[in-house]
Amino acid sequence: MKALHKINDILLLGLHSLGVHKVRSALTALGIFIGVCGVIAMLAINEGAGAEAQRTLRALGSTNIIIESRKPPQDDSKATGRSWGALNYGLTKRDVTRITGGSVPHMRRYVTVHQTKKMAYLAGKNLSISVIATDPTIAEIVRIKVQAGRFITSADMLRRKPHCVITAPLVRSLFGYENPLGKTVRIGGEPFVIVGMLSRLPQALSGEGAEATDSVIIPRTTGIDRFGELTVEVRTGSRTYERVEISRLILQMEDENAVLAAAPIIRSLLERNHDQEDYDVKVPLELIEQKKKQMFLWNVMLVTIASVSLLVGGIGIMNIMLATVVERTREIGVRRALGAKQWDIIAQFLVEAVTLTTVGGVIGIGAGISLPWLIRRYLEFPTETSVWTILLPFLMAVSVGLISGIYPAMRAAKLDPITALRHE
Amino acid sequence: MRELVSLENLWKIYPVGPGVPALKGVNLLIAEGEYLAIMGPSGSGKSTLLNLLGCLDRPTRGQYRLGGEDVSDLSDNRLSEVRNRRIGFVFQSFNLIQQLTVVENIEIPLFYSGLSRRHRHPRSREMAELVGLSDRMEHRPGELSGGQQQRVAVARALANDPLILLADEPTGNLDTHTSGEIMALFDELHSRGRTIIMVTHETHVAVHAKRVIHMLDGQIESDADAESLDTNK
Repeated sequence: MKALHKINDILLLGLHSLGVHKVRSALTALGIFIGVCGVIAMLAINEGAGAEAQRTLRALGSTNIIIESRKPPQDDSKATGRSWGALNYGLTKRDVTRITGGSVPHMRRYVTVHQTKKMAYLAGKNLSISVIATDPTIAEIVRIKVQAGRFITSADMLRRKPHCVITAPLVRSLFGYENPLGKTVRIGGEPFVIVGMLSRLPQALSGEGAEATDSVIIPRTTGIDRFGELTVEVRTGSRTYERVEISRLILQMEDENAVLAAAPIIRSLLERNHDQEDYDVKVPLELIEQKKKQMFLWNVMLVTIASVSLLVGGIGIMNIMLATVVERTREIGVRRALGAKQWDIIAQFLVEAVTLTTVGGVIGIGAGISLPWLIRRYLEFPTETSVWTILLPFLMAVSVGLISGIYPAMRAAKLDPITALRHE
Repeated sequence: MRELVSLENLWKIYPVGPGVPALKGVNLLIAEGEYLAIMGPSGSGKSTLLNLLGCLDRPTRGQYRLGGEDVSDLSDNRLSEVRNRRIGFVFQSFNLIQQLTVVENIEIPLFYSGLSRRHRHPRSREMAELVGLSDRMEHRPGELSGGQQQRVAVARALANDPLILLADEPTGNLDTHTSGEIMALFDELHSRGRTIIMVTHETHVAVHAKRVIHMLDGQIESDADAESLDTNK
């Protein structure tokens, strides 16, 4: 009880003497305020950017592994996969058999995608679109959400129906605001009935290209039926053909651990059977982990930078406290003569220093929370504030107060009472 | 009469160069209720003696017993406690804390003795009344005259009901009239049984005491009744 009274009294004493020098105290706290506010805001921006990137990657499916055909980086004339005047590259059916035939453990299912460019024709409108021939299971693997109508079904597959699912932007350019469901559109010369509509193509299917918007999805079997098994593309401005058997192979693993184990197996399988890098293995989970690591490094860097401002603030506090000790030497002498122990003096000055940083820190938290909010609101940049991004800078500020206050406080306590009393 | 202060062959040597002896074997006994003045020219060791008596410093050699307890070799913490509980200081320049009010200044020793705020307040008001400042309690030192400030200092010195009241040139910063008032206060305190030790170089102040000690070269040169003082000197 006695100790509690004393703590309370020492707190009041500290606040009291801070109140005597209001401007000085405010300026000193300002340094801490800027530091805390800076750390919180910087962390919020970085966390926001990182979380956004992670959301994007998670949309690819964290249990998925996506293998894409890619045009090899070599010059065309030196390419080895050339036959019948065509450039052969990318994944083959044999690759699919190798990978899905049991060498990769804990695989749940897989789906292949054949993607090709065709012309879509409707009522005098001609558009170059991307045709994706695949299995209906893809909807579950890459989480496709149908906006209207339905997705292609296994019945469509079995009967090789000329049904297609179309993306919303393509609907807009072909039909305007008309309902496209049930309408027939000519794709590559063949008639297809539109059975469903997607708002956009999932990222796992769109790759980096602009085909994300103007695409149709058709049953794989129908695709083979109407357009053949090869994806043949005529390159503009040259007479070479490009032939790709499989555009994409998407594996869904049982869990995330299986993903990390499977990735190297797949890579080595492909490496052994391809003499050039005409494929790309994308592991969203690996990318997420990478992103996390990157974000952590950024956080460390940002906190370090912002700590410099806290350090400067701390030096300011130490400076002020040292000046205060000199200024109040006589008071210290009087207090010692009247019975203050060294600890009482240390506590008195420490409380002052910590109070300064705490006040600066609390105001800094307020500003540090509203600043990211303003950025999110007006610059439309994602920011994220969590408990630790607030607590960490605050605790840093309080420790800055403790650390920068301890030396001046010790100096005050070590003063010889007799000398201090004689101080003018 | 109970013996309050007992100094036995007390030495104080300052560690400057070969060592400067400021006190050379002082022996002194002071009983409860005594009113003592310490006089002497500057450099005679009277300030050193006062610092030792006030437990602000430790003797190099010898023994100091205060209220029966040996305080010659206590730790800094224990010395602080002794100063807080058993000694009341009155300084020449008052040494009040300017930012605090009269009551708050008087409360300082009570604060360090761990008395709760609730108990401190009535005690400090009582002390302010004792020295005749009941109408100045919420004033700050800057708003008071020198005499009033010294009264606050006396009230503060007595707040913890110490064994001895130590005054270092208590009238040094005051005019003759106010000096007289402060000395009257001291006389009154003495008449109520308070033990007072003061250092002064003014004879007209020293005559208020009942016993006068003259210091010279770190030793007690004379120790006599105040009546023997030549007030014309």
